[in-house]
Amino acid sequence: MAARGSPLQDLITRFLPWIGAGVVLGILPALLPSYMQSIWTKFLIFAIFATSFDLIYGHAGLLSLGHAAFFGAGGYAVGVLMLHTGITSFWVGLPLGILVAVAIAVLFGFISLRVSGMYFLLVTFALAQLLYSVAWNWLWINSPGMQGIAGIPLPDLGIPSLEWNTIYFYYFVLIFFCICFYLVYRIMNSPFGYALRGIRESEIRMQALGYNTWLYKFIIFVVTGAFAGLAGVLFAYFNRLISPVYLGVGTSFLPMCMVIIGGSGTRIGPVIGAMVIIFVEYFSSLFTPERWPLILGGAFVVAIMYARGGIVIYLSRFWKQIGYRHGSIEG
Amino acid sequence: MEALRVDSLSKDFGGVHALSSVSFSVGTGQRLVVIGPNGAGKTTLFNVINGQLSPTSGRVFFFEQDITNMPTHQRAHLGQARSFQIVSLFLNLTVLDNALIALHGTKPSRFQMFWPMNGYRNLMDEARKNLDAAMLWEKRDEIVKNLSHGEQRRLEIALSLAQNPKLLLLDEPSSGLTRDESSEVIGLIKNLGSKITVLIVDHDMNLVFGVADRIIVLHYGQVIADGTPEVIRDDPRVREIYMGMEECIDHVGVG
Amino acid sequence: MEVFGRNLLNGISFGMVLFLAGSGLSVVMGVMGITNLAHGALYMLGGYVGWTVAIHYGMNFWLAVFLGGLVSGLIGLTIERIFLRHLYKQPNEQVLLTFGFVYIITNLCIWIWGGRPRMQFSSPALSGLLDIFGMPYPITRLVIIAMGVIVAIVLWWLQDRTRIGAIIRAGMDDKEMTMGLGINLERVSMLVFFLAAFVAGVAGVVGAQLMGVHSILGLDILLVALIVVIVGGMGSVQGALSGGISIGLIDTFGKSLFPQFAMFTMYLAMVVILLVKPSGILGRRV
Repeated sequence: MAARGSPLQDLITRFLPWIGAGVVLGILPALLPSYMQSIWTKFLIFAIFATSFDLIYGHAGLLSLGHAAFFGAGGYAVGVLMLHTGITSFWVGLPLGILVAVAIAVLFGFISLRVSGMYFLLVTFALAQLLYSVAWNWLWINSPGMQGIAGIPLPDLGIPSLEWNTIYFYYFVLIFFCICFYLVYRIMNSPFGYALRGIRESEIRMQALGYNTWLYKFIIFVVTGAFAGLAGVLFAYFNRLISPVYLGVGTSFLPMCMVIIGGSGTRIGPVIGAMVIIFVEYFSSLFTPERWPLILGGAFVVAIMYARGGIVIYLSRFWKQIGYRHGSIEG
Repeated sequence: MEALRVDSLSKDFGGVHALSSVSFSVGTGQRLVVIGPNGAGKTTLFNVINGQLSPTSGRVFFFEQDITNMPTHQRAHLGQARSFQIVSLFLNLTVLDNALIALHGTKPSRFQMFWPMNGYRNLMDEARKNLDAAMLWEKRDEIVKNLSHGEQRRLEIALSLAQNPKLLLLDEPSSGLTRDESSEVIGLIKNLGSKITVLIVDHDMNLVFGVADRIIVLHYGQVIADGTPEVIRDDPRVREIYMGMEECIDHVGVG
Repeated sequence: MEVFGRNLLNGISFGMVLFLAGSGLSVVMGVMGITNLAHGALYMLGGYVGWTVAIHYGMNFWLAVFLGGLVSGLIGLTIERIFLRHLYKQPNEQVLLTFGFVYIITNLCIWIWGGRPRMQFSSPALSGLLDIFGMPYPITRLVIIAMGVIVAIVLWWLQDRTRIGAIIRAGMDDKEMTMGLGINLERVSMLVFFLAAFVAGVAGVVGAQLMGVHSILGLDILLVALIVVIVGGMGSVQGALSGGISIGLIDTFGKSLFPQFAMFTMYLAMVVILLVKPSGILGRRV
């Protein structure tokens, strides 16, 4: 018999995480120094990236090693827009970024899903590197004399009195984070989300039940590409610079790490993973910047070997224990 | 109208003739059991009928429609359902989740990405009926990999019945089950009604002779006998193949 | 005509390096079902070790080749024994794990050897030119071709003509049965994995003659090796060889005829194969 507390205690246990999140994400950053707010902003952007990646990895069970292609594509769209037309309006940059990311996801998805299993992984990797090569060599999408595009200004929202600073930008990104988190949450609980998990568990069974599994994989590939593109757009405005490295496998690795360390297939696992990775990266940059890849790789290996459910599993056990201790046994 | 007709089906795997010119037809409502030694091609036959494999030559007709090259998921929409020899359930999901996913497979709302699954009242009711019939409703929140083998088999069959199929393909439904559990399966198959046609592959002679209207014997991919259970029991070629199983066949009553 | 001949030999020698780099990856993938993304890092590690032996300490080139292979082989074996073994039947996790090792090995190499952009590694033992039909051609490349042929023959012999190859193939299909027959599948797996990593290390030393050693090789070579696997077909020595030679020739002639599209010929070949015959030139199933 599970231990239960009074209705008030139940309410608190259920809503405390949300209240906590509200404080941590909504109130805390306003009190932090400016450079910290930047780190929080970066964390939120990658939380979007990681949460959407979990749809394809944690739920559909597809390991794609090239998701940064869509992230970087979104960012490059914003950069190229500014570089060649001078347009800095967010309301042009955002849809364009997502559109470009989606177009590339459609193309890459079609090619990659010709094969399955390990081959699929390799192809997604190779295609992302192809895009990386293109970005490196194609002069038209580079600022003169360098790799990538520099000098991307903060987004123009068309609001004349608005002057950007770090905290405004943070809350701006927070809005998008909340929207994306909510959408991903809806997808997870919808029939489509259930079907994805079915495909992960037994694709052959799903087909025998009437599901066109290729179509599901293709759709979720493109949808997560769109979210990655959105994150890339925000990142371009945040980072003020976009370069080929953000298309490469190094950037693809980050959401994977975040999902594994935080806990795949859960709602907040990727978010927690993003928080951990971005903050450890920051601290490592203060003390041993050269050893950061080693730390990242090491933490990742440890997580895979020993902490399979990710941090979320420990958190939820901890949470249940608290509820247990404060509750009374039903008689 | 015949529910299923296979015409000269052959399937080669690089030199191995898994199926050689197999032909038969199945009337609506019939209970046809396919038996044969291991490696005779029974599961290959199912895979061709259900679309997991394409035949090297020959055709498959489902209610007079040529489905030889139709992908598996479309066959489900036409009314085919199947259980697998190796349990293919959604092991890390709950029993209820399994049932809901199975029910949704042929409904248009399966592509819906925004409204939660819990909101589909009708679906939940159907899932309840489905799981009740398999006596698994109480365990609906259990993770499937924690179920006993017998319960998993029951769920496997329940899932294949979820969409009220016209043709049910059961691949070794009694494999790994105890005597009692097998009896349950036999009872379940007997209660399926005359609107559904059932094709079974199995080795358990109790089940085979318990439910079959007709038996086909496969050996090295060829049909070597096709007839009522009495005819098959007395067929000398069949007895030869099943040497040792002779006692089994003798002891089992017919029907 | 001389240009064609030179390109041909260049393509084949480069292709041999690709074959050496990709063969271990392909065989382990197809036969053991493990995708070892750290394969490129093992190549790089071998190159660094070989450099230390041959250039830093000035010792015999062939010793450098052997030691490069040995170190990589041992590291690869460690990864398999201590880590991968516990992730049997979880292919996604296996791949991710090996990818984590790319970071670890790469960063350790930078730590030990420094992050210099590119280290030249031309062994004096292989310098000089040989006259081929009136065309002077570097001995280094000829040696590379010869090595590739020898390794290909040895590996093919192991794969098709020995019990070891048959055991691995059987083990892939039915592990319990194979073990039930009293065959020590674990030991054979270890041997295959070690061998694959060893060849990668050897490839690193040999390939360094053409391309030097640098710290990004871990990913660069992985990418190329993957394209070789995709184009040639997974799981066999013949597949890796056909993929390697094809890509070597395509890349060399591509660079010579269309210099502005240097990198893309490889990718183009990969995309074409995926659209036309996804299982690769000599691959069996998709």
